[in-house]
Amino acid sequence: MDEISVVGQVVGGKFGDIIIRQKSGSNLEIGDLMVSEENGSYLILQVFALEYGSQIQDKMQQMMSGVNLEQGIVDAQFFEPEFVNYVLARIKPLARVYKEKGEVKIPKSLPSFFNKLRLITKDDLKFLHKEKDAIFVGYIRSGSKVIMEAEVWLPAQDVFSHHVLIPATTGRGKSNLVKTILWHVLDTNKVGALVLDAHDEYFGRQGVGLKDHPKNRENLVYYTPSNPPAGANRLTINLQSIRPEHFEGIVDFSDPQFQAIRMAFRKSRNNWIRDLMLTDAVDAGMESSSPSRGEFTAATMMVVQRKLRLLLSLEKDENGVIFSRHEVFDSTTKGLNSVEDIVKDIEQGKVVILDTSRLGDEAELLVGNIIASKLLQKYKDAKASGDLDRKPVATIVIEEAPRVIGVDVLTTRNDNIYSIIAKEGRKFKVGLTAITQLSSVIPRSILANMNTKIILGNEMKQEREAIISSASQDLSEDDKNIASLDKGEAIITSIFVPFAMPIKIPLFEDIVKQKGIQRDTTKTKVF
Amino acid sequence: MRFAHLSDIHLGFQKHEALQKIEQQVFERAIDECINRKVDFILIPGDLFHVNIPEMRVQKFAFAKFRQIYDAGIPVYVVYGSHDFSPVSNSVIDLLAEVGYITKVTRATSLDNGKIKLDFLVDGKTGVKIAGLSGLKVGKDREYYEKLDRESLEGESGFKIFLFHGGISEMKTDSGMDGENMPLSLLPRNFDYYAGGHMHKFNSQKFDDYSRVVYPGALFAGYHSDLEDNAKGQKRGFVLVEFEDKIKNVEFVEIQNVQYKMIQINAENRIAESVNKELLEKIREIDPAQQVVIIKVQGEMTSGKTADVDISAIRDELNQKGALVVNINKNQLTSKEYSITEAKGANKEEIETNVFFENIGQLRFEQKNLLGESGVQLAKKLLAGLAQQKLENEKNADYNSRIKENAFGILGLDTDAS
Repeated sequence: MDEISVVGQVVGGKFGDIIIRQKSGSNLEIGDLMVSEENGSYLILQVFALEYGSQIQDKMQQMMSGVNLEQGIVDAQFFEPEFVNYVLARIKPLARVYKEKGEVKIPKSLPSFFNKLRLITKDDLKFLHKEKDAIFVGYIRSGSKVIMEAEVWLPAQDVFSHHVLIPATTGRGKSNLVKTILWHVLDTNKVGALVLDAHDEYFGRQGVGLKDHPKNRENLVYYTPSNPPAGANRLTINLQSIRPEHFEGIVDFSDPQFQAIRMAFRKSRNNWIRDLMLTDAVDAGMESSSPSRGEFTAATMMVVQRKLRLLLSLEKDENGVIFSRHEVFDSTTKGLNSVEDIVKDIEQGKVVILDTSRLGDEAELLVGNIIASKLLQKYKDAKASGDLDRKPVATIVIEEAPRVIGVDVLTTRNDNIYSIIAKEGRKFKVGLTAITQLSSVIPRSILANMNTKIILGNEMKQEREAIISSASQDLSEDDKNIASLDKGEAIITSIFVPFAMPIKIPLFEDIVKQKGIQRDTTKTKVF
Repeated sequence: MRFAHLSDIHLGFQKHEALQKIEQQVFERAIDECINRKVDFILIPGDLFHVNIPEMRVQKFAFAKFRQIYDAGIPVYVVYGSHDFSPVSNSVIDLLAEVGYITKVTRATSLDNGKIKLDFLVDGKTGVKIAGLSGLKVGKDREYYEKLDRESLEGESGFKIFLFHGGISEMKTDSGMDGENMPLSLLPRNFDYYAGGHMHKFNSQKFDDYSRVVYPGALFAGYHSDLEDNAKGQKRGFVLVEFEDKIKNVEFVEIQNVQYKMIQINAENRIAESVNKELLEKIREIDPAQQVVIIKVQGEMTSGKTADVDISAIRDELNQKGALVVNINKNQLTSKEYSITEAKGANKEEIETNVFFENIGQLRFEQKNLLGESGVQLAKKLLAGLAQQKLENEKNADYNSRIKENAFGILGLDTDAS
């Protein structure tokens, strides 16, 4: 190591909290990665705290300041200041890399005492290489410095089947990250994804988006309820696709209300919602005065009708035809195959984006529930028949995940499909990609099952603590690090990476500029 | 004013003489109906013929009928379908167009910016503006739609009709219809009528910006499954549309084809003998005279081979009773005893070997060389022999006999003894 590249020297501390003295002028940052060369291997270490150190006693320093401030002696200086006053950095070992084999192991020993350290370079990160069917998430970041040559690729199959959590507050680059991930998912057919896009921001109806991917025609399917751009599908779900169990864990129906729903379903399996909505509760003799009939009361019926009307935005026209205001649900013949088609697309490794921006919260989750239930069932069947190996891993991208896997939802309602997938989907190659601002309200049992977390900046201590306590690597010293993550900066903790990796996610617009589809201006022969 | 919309006539599809006659009669009746109802013009968006150059018999009656329409002064507007398409204008469609009996609608110009501009064709009598795109075999038409200069089409005023040949995802009626459908949004908006072809069941729907999208469905049958659908009650015919400056009425005009008898047998968890018994009982309950009989056997039998379900005896008996045609469908019949177990391997050959080894134990033959290790080796040789490609410049007949001889040789059989 040449002396110029040295940034500090080990001067004390203990395992996990090593103290180094910063070389003057080095200007170390929180999160900086540095290297300690050892015999046959090197340690990668990371700065997690910075503080001042001095050879002069505190009181003496304070007196010096007094001379400066109160007596107007502006040029009073320490003798050899860089020697006397300095910065101490507290660092922790992340990984030990064995040079010969390029093996990366969890470190179990300290760096040699007094060893000189340097900042990490691209050559130290050669062990990071793209494996087949991996997805790109960003570049290794050392503090705020980005090492563009060190790309971080995650093994797609493993990562998505073991669930991904993206915790972040607003404005920290969530949607940029999701778009970057999906962009690379589009490269191959190895991952199928259902994306519930509550803000209609991923496809790129206006501006750039996933539609600009060169393989969009083969691997991207976009459903939107109204005015679909050329080539996009109209999102219409026929009411016949909805079954009573799809409401479980999503809509708050009381037991009698659910009973009324099940009764309607038993009477007319295909058109139960239409029939139920058109039933006149009082005329049908369901008044509360006749409970002996064993039927639910008219009041219950009316509440169910009202809830369904609000949930699905249903209305009745003058011909008695039920329709939904946002046109997503249809009671006639449209959208009978939508769910089947979407599931087939996912099974073929495509990314299916559903523009749910016009749907209410519960309706969005219901649509996702219908599709995810069918998908999980198909994957379960494939496992039973031995065909699961041939299927791509499937992931369901859902925003504001606590709506379905939050502790309050799971304790007050039955399990919904999302929580079932979080608990057992891994066995069937179906995973969740959950985006949330509030990790703390997701039960620990589920958080611990989400084996990859891409942590973006978060200023809320409680949320940071929830993430840190469930991370796949020890992040106990990273609280401040996470708090200070800037837009686009992230830390990946996963059972599929050798250490918690600090990364910089590229701007999605830049990716599109570099790799996006070029406009085809070749002439076409038309027959 | 009114026009007729026919599609997927698939002239020349039927191989059986009785069905060929029906195919011809249905077509002629439909055209007669159009003439009798004094339509102003006829639209045929694709698959008028089953292949681009059908046999002479078909061309003869088709030309005669189109001559009749021509004499009646009714223009016929068509686009190619996926079956009668020819990239070098080498289709009987082009012949009909050349003599002036029909008019090909597609008037496309490829622009310098890569876009495709479609010009309208104006019907002389009604002033209706018609544009359209053909349906191609390999989904190439999707590229056409993506490159379409939509603004000029959508901005055109007047009563407009768009002819297209291809499945629309939003109008799928059957979850089994996969593959070649495209989203409705690929079609240009704001036409008064979208005359579709390719989907074989009548379907008429309204959508935002697409006021009326219609498929008349096949006129008789263009796939084998169409006959089965007919037997199940699927109505066949064409669409008659009344209009002024807007569509006033869309009517489906049924054209009767033939009488059917449908027999369905569920073989799930049963043995071949019991399935045969039920088949015999069922065919004895019906009078098949002058009828098309469709028999469908499906399900997974518990034992026996699927070949043990004896269809030849059934066919003979029905034919003796005067059935017009007997169609027996065993595609969805499997047997637990003879179901193929999959196996893994590092490469294609290893997979093939392992699959044979996994499954050969199920077989019961007296010829011991067909079983065990020798059976596997024989099966591998036979597979390799049958997988041989046709040589360059080799004639089909030569290829067939070469493969056959090779296969017989592998099996140690005398070619003449077959």
